[in-house]
Amino acid sequence: MFHLPSALRRWETLLLAILAVVVLFNVTRSPFYLRIDNLVNVFELSIEKIIVALVMTFIIINGEIDLSVASVMGLAACVVARLHADGVAMPLAVLVALTVGLLCGAFNGFWIAYVGLPSLAVTLAGLIGYRGAARILLEDKSIGNFPEWFNALGQRPLVGPFPLALIVFFVMLIAAAIILQRTAFGRYVYVIGNNKEVARYAGIRVKQVKMRLFMASGLIAALAGVLLAARLGAVRGNTAEGFELDIITMVLLGGVSIFGGSGTLTGVALSILIILNLRNGMSLANITGNTQTGVIGALLILSVLVPNLVGRLRALRSRMRPATTGPTPQPAQEVEIS
Amino acid sequence: MLASPDKAPVLEMHHISKRFDATQALDDVSLTLYPGEVHALLGENGAGKSTLIKIMTGIHQPDAGEIVLDGQPVQIANAMQAQRLGIAAIYQEPMIFPDLSVAENIFIGHAERTPFVNWGRIVREAEAILGRLDVKLDVRMPARGLTLAAQQAVEIAKAISLQVRVLIMDEPTASLSAHEVEQLFRLVDALRRQGVAILFISHRLDEVFAIADRVTVFRDGRWISTRLRSEVTPEGAIRDMVGREIGDFFAKTPAAQRGESLLSVRGLSKRGVFSDISFDVHRGEVLGFAGLVGARRTDVGLALFGIEPADSGEIVFEGRPCTIRSPEQAMRLGIAYVSEDRRQLGLSLPQSITANITLPLLRRYAAAFGLLDFKAEEQTAERYKQQLAIRAPNVQVEVGKLSGGNQQKVMLAKWLNTAPKLLILDEPTRGIDVGAKAEVHHIINALAQQGIGIIMISSDLPEVLGMSDRVLVMREGRQMGVFDRAQATQERIMAAAIGGAIPDSPAPRADGEGMA
Repeated sequence: MFHLPSALRRWETLLLAILAVVVLFNVTRSPFYLRIDNLVNVFELSIEKIIVALVMTFIIINGEIDLSVASVMGLAACVVARLHADGVAMPLAVLVALTVGLLCGAFNGFWIAYVGLPSLAVTLAGLIGYRGAARILLEDKSIGNFPEWFNALGQRPLVGPFPLALIVFFVMLIAAAIILQRTAFGRYVYVIGNNKEVARYAGIRVKQVKMRLFMASGLIAALAGVLLAARLGAVRGNTAEGFELDIITMVLLGGVSIFGGSGTLTGVALSILIILNLRNGMSLANITGNTQTGVIGALLILSVLVPNLVGRLRALRSRMRPATTGPTPQPAQEVEIS
Repeated sequence: MLASPDKAPVLEMHHISKRFDATQALDDVSLTLYPGEVHALLGENGAGKSTLIKIMTGIHQPDAGEIVLDGQPVQIANAMQAQRLGIAAIYQEPMIFPDLSVAENIFIGHAERTPFVNWGRIVREAEAILGRLDVKLDVRMPARGLTLAAQQAVEIAKAISLQVRVLIMDEPTASLSAHEVEQLFRLVDALRRQGVAILFISHRLDEVFAIADRVTVFRDGRWISTRLRSEVTPEGAIRDMVGREIGDFFAKTPAAQRGESLLSVRGLSKRGVFSDISFDVHRGEVLGFAGLVGARRTDVGLALFGIEPADSGEIVFEGRPCTIRSPEQAMRLGIAYVSEDRRQLGLSLPQSITANITLPLLRRYAAAFGLLDFKAEEQTAERYKQQLAIRAPNVQVEVGKLSGGNQQKVMLAKWLNTAPKLLILDEPTRGIDVGAKAEVHHIINALAQQGIGIIMISSDLPEVLGMSDRVLVMREGRQMGVFDRAQATQERIMAAAIGGAIPDSPAPRADGEGMA
């Protein structure tokens, strides 16, 4: 019953083709690539980022952005470390960290949804402010010595070869896909991203939807921060610094329009697979981190460029018809409808 | 003062035609402007005035016809070229850069192509131009905070700095106070003395008669008359503006009997927008809202739907007093508002027919675990596709790809699906072709017969007259009267909308509620 416009199909087909090339390259270049521990490792090194990317997908489809996620991750990790160092029980410390994340998200959401400030500015302030709070908490110390069970959660497999964070990711991926594609809330996210006024004129509580998204973003970022602390085993004031750009890259490469209103989790999942496998493959092939970053940057440019060029060509061809979409034609345009 | 025919015309437009999709916006119209004349152009909404302006300023190209400037045929390919030819337009809302100084605003269009700006010269020349217009402004001050009238003076100065020959003024007085209008008219006089030809567009007949040398009337994209001011009366001008046959496809079946009162509004006001609006809508009745663009009819609709709630006044719905503060609340009461702006406010264009129709009630389609029942959604959409004859291959088609008429039907379906008791239709047939228009009228008729109360805001006068049981006329945020079907003639409605004297009605019986 899924109806996807052909442009979207083509975009995700393109991602799939890129992924196939990357995997093929990896298989031929390294005998270690297909080993299960390497495949788990592919995910593990970026697991916290890809968890946050799922929520970021909602936010960008909604026509907003959250630049503060990495700082919230760092702050949550620092809160856990600080409280632990001060003798607070670990479960309570985690709970406090998650609450702090939720409050950070609520703070962002309030200014964006109810006051109407641009999310770019509000969350940029959050990026700086929450990071500042994290640095104040830990000064320039590195705090570790977490209980053994906590480190184990981050570092050892929990079920089969899969660590906790990976399980969290897959559960969240399924939940996010269902919410986005199959619930009224998900539909509202798209409609608001397309045109906030149309949503308002249809009686949708636009402010509430935005508020919830930013609160979810704060909470999930904090969860990712705690998982990061467990995996690293030690936390510093600059933990997770700069992650927001990697996260946004994953979402945009997945075909989510930066102008809002379009994109799918399928696309984002494919783009995550591409980025992670590309990095893993290049590492196995002893390509340096700097080169890796360059390659991914080129990929992102192409991902924005190609659909725009295609869209412009199409617009040229049908110039007689009035424009029907937002400022930039994007590959993915529609929620699936039964 | 009068344009003397012995002078050579500056601009002649011969047999201009322009078509947009199904609409013949201009049909073989001609207009001649002489230097030093103020030429008023009158016409209802949709008469073709804006299209003519856009052709004169190079925004649109005519399909047929010839433009002659100083005896030479010219093509006006774009706005830049219009400017070079000395044709400029100023609008109701002046286009001012608030952070630039007055002088910079005046010379914004044509800094010389040298690397450095000669500030001294710009200031001197700006002062000289304003001096000629007898306007006292500090040209070094930022334009922010200037009154509307002063901003228009800056716009006029800008036009003069470009050696304007033909100045189009499109409803320049619409937002001005009486005193500011006087100032503006002094500027217009100054321009006239300098030999500029002025095309003056206004809905206010008194102003037109105060300033124009000649008066041209358009109707339905056609030229109707051009007369010297001394030869035309306000009544004659109104007759020319509205004197068209009403097509019989507008016929509404008159309400069999007036149902019980559904909505009763008393003294509804919103500061600075509209004031003291009072009317009733009965079940099964179509109440037309007539008036010119800017009469604030849409704002009353938005207040009733809770988008921009009113400040004061009483609303009684189904016998219960209520305040409406959000669309959600209005929807719960059973009020639906079909916006005039399909593309910006009414429809989510990249989404499917189905997604658009089910949007207001989407939560009703949630089954177990809040999962949407796609099948039920599709059934709803299919039902309306059949009922309203929405022409599309299937209900998954993006709404943005449909024609205007079909988009309008999707909007109607979207709101009918909320099972409204009161349906507010804002310009329900704007920009759709004649066939689709008749279909929409047919649907409105059927809805009224089912007992839905309908408020139909429309700038299409024959439509209002043909479809309404009663007509409420607004002008600049005020209610000018409510006319029964029998009393509502084009002349009376147009007179009320323009603010002229309302001619005697065939059956002069004051309407019970709210002749203002």
